Amino acid sequence: MNATTTGPARTPAVELRQLSHRYDSQLVLRSVDLSIERGEIFGFLGHNGAGKTTAVNILTTLIEPTAGWASVCGFDVVTARSEVTQRIGYLPSDVRMYPHLTARENLEFFAALSGLVDVSTAVSETLDYLDCGPLADRRVGSFSTGMRQRIGIAQAIVHRPEVLFLDEPTSGLDPVGVRQLRETIQRLNRELGMTVFMNTHLLSEVAKVCTTIGVLNHGELIYKDTIEATTSRFPDEASLEDIYVKMEATSAGAAT
Amino acid sequence: MNDSARRILTLAKHEYRAAVRSRILSVLLGILVSVTAVSVFIASVDYRSQVADYRAYVASAQAGGVQRIAPSPLRPLSLLRGATEYLEIIGAVIAITLGYLTIARERTNRTLTLLRSRPVTAGELAGGSLLGAVGIISTLVVVTGTAGVLLAGLVGNDWINAAQAVRLGLAAVSAVIYMMVFYCVGAVATARSKVAASGLMIALGIWLLVVLIIPQLGDTLDADNQIPGGLFKALGLNREGETQILSHFHTYETTRVGIEEASFAKHYERFSFAMTDVLDKYREYSLSQLLHEKWHDIAWLVVYPLLALAALWQSFRHQPTIPTGDLQ
Repeated sequence: MNATTTGPARTPAVELRQLSHRYDSQLVLRSVDLSIERGEIFGFLGHNGAGKTTAVNILTTLIEPTAGWASVCGFDVVTARSEVTQRIGYLPSDVRMYPHLTARENLEFFAALSGLVDVSTAVSETLDYLDCGPLADRRVGSFSTGMRQRIGIAQAIVHRPEVLFLDEPTSGLDPVGVRQLRETIQRLNRELGMTVFMNTHLLSEVAKVCTTIGVLNHGELIYKDTIEATTSRFPDEASLEDIYVKMEATSAGAAT
Repeated sequence: MNDSARRILTLAKHEYRAAVRSRILSVLLGILVSVTAVSVFIASVDYRSQVADYRAYVASAQAGGVQRIAPSPLRPLSLLRGATEYLEIIGAVIAITLGYLTIARERTNRTLTLLRSRPVTAGELAGGSLLGAVGIISTLVVVTGTAGVLLAGLVGNDWINAAQAVRLGLAAVSAVIYMMVFYCVGAVATARSKVAASGLMIALGIWLLVVLIIPQLGDTLDADNQIPGGLFKALGLNREGETQILSHFHTYETTRVGIEEASFAKHYERFSFAMTDVLDKYREYSLSQLLHEKWHDIAWLVVYPLLALAALWQSFRHQPTIPTGDLQ
């Protein structure tokens, strides 16, 4: 049931080198260098428009960077797309799945596309693992946001990826849903050994679930360290939120 | 079966299931079968009396000891003329809508990003969608055709024979190819547009031009069509005389024929009408004679789909995966 670790030996789960991306005239990622080891839960923080989703879009092979290099499990996201997509799971923000299909049918479809041979066993195991059994044979179109998010996670892990990318996973969830999701992420990391790369702008999530954080500000990576190191580096700050605000303010001051 | 073929088949089944589950297939079938049934029924009522007349003639000729009985001039396939025309006009709109929905559905559900983050290539996505659409469109054509034949047999009291069934099968294949081209038009226009509804409008504009305007232009500009019954016939000119006169209008005729040739709909119509006995002059042709006579239309029925397939593949390769507004 564990995600099997493959790819070139001792390579980081995710690596970015001088990664830049431009949409028309707007530079949204500026020479980002980042390395995330296997087994981490990485929280990628930043304000709206900081470039977090662009980074995830590059890492999940949806777009190609305009400059620099990125790899997942040691495989180049541009030249080894197939190798990368076999090793990742992805849950974009506000995904709706196929509303006319049941949860099980949605999962079977994505499992088959991922190349699984025993699709129905993998789907049943995943539904059980995430306690989604009662939702299995209901059409996704009738689901609440929280239910849809659980099925979204299920489609992302049905093929047991090594790295799981989550883009603003708690958006639209109620407090109970947020807590369930947090527990699910921790279980996936602890029990299945998945590396988790989570985009968010909610600091409470990061503080409770992540092992490492990175802060992106206007396309530049201004900070990266473990949660413990971060809180000990900023001992005077009351919360992670204060630390984050201070980092962004420091970065803005340095820029001017 | 290799991994790529398996993924294409998975995508195709998914496309077909989406059409069935969302009731699109049943609604479209309902529309096509209804209009076909009405047209075949109306044509069959008059046809039935012609069949009765012919059978009465055969019976009286046999009773009178006549040795050479004239073959029946009646062709039950010709009762499907309305079905062919509906497929040409409404079928094209239906196919465009299916192509539009293929892209719009993925965008609305935001599932395109999920698909592209799997080990699926653009070619496999295009192939799967296309194969699924072939299944949906074949279902529409086969059910509509079968309903038409059954109705023609029951109401018109004349059933098609094996040779006619083969020609009907070829006409059905041409209808599927014809509709698939418009499916590609709908999918390509939608994939190329940032707003899916704009793509649908562009595709319907192309439909208007190719199916309604261009074929009409060609017909309207034809000198022979200026008088009911034919201008050259009214002038007492045979084919040779007609050719001689038209040679003085070479540029005009070349332009007019060029306009007609540009319409894929015209080629489909010519081929289908020939196969379903709509045109009197082809009624005594054997299948091989028919195919030989219609090779020009067959060639266009191959060229246009190839162009459409190339455009579809290109569109899936370059289609923006990320919805507008999610760029950062």
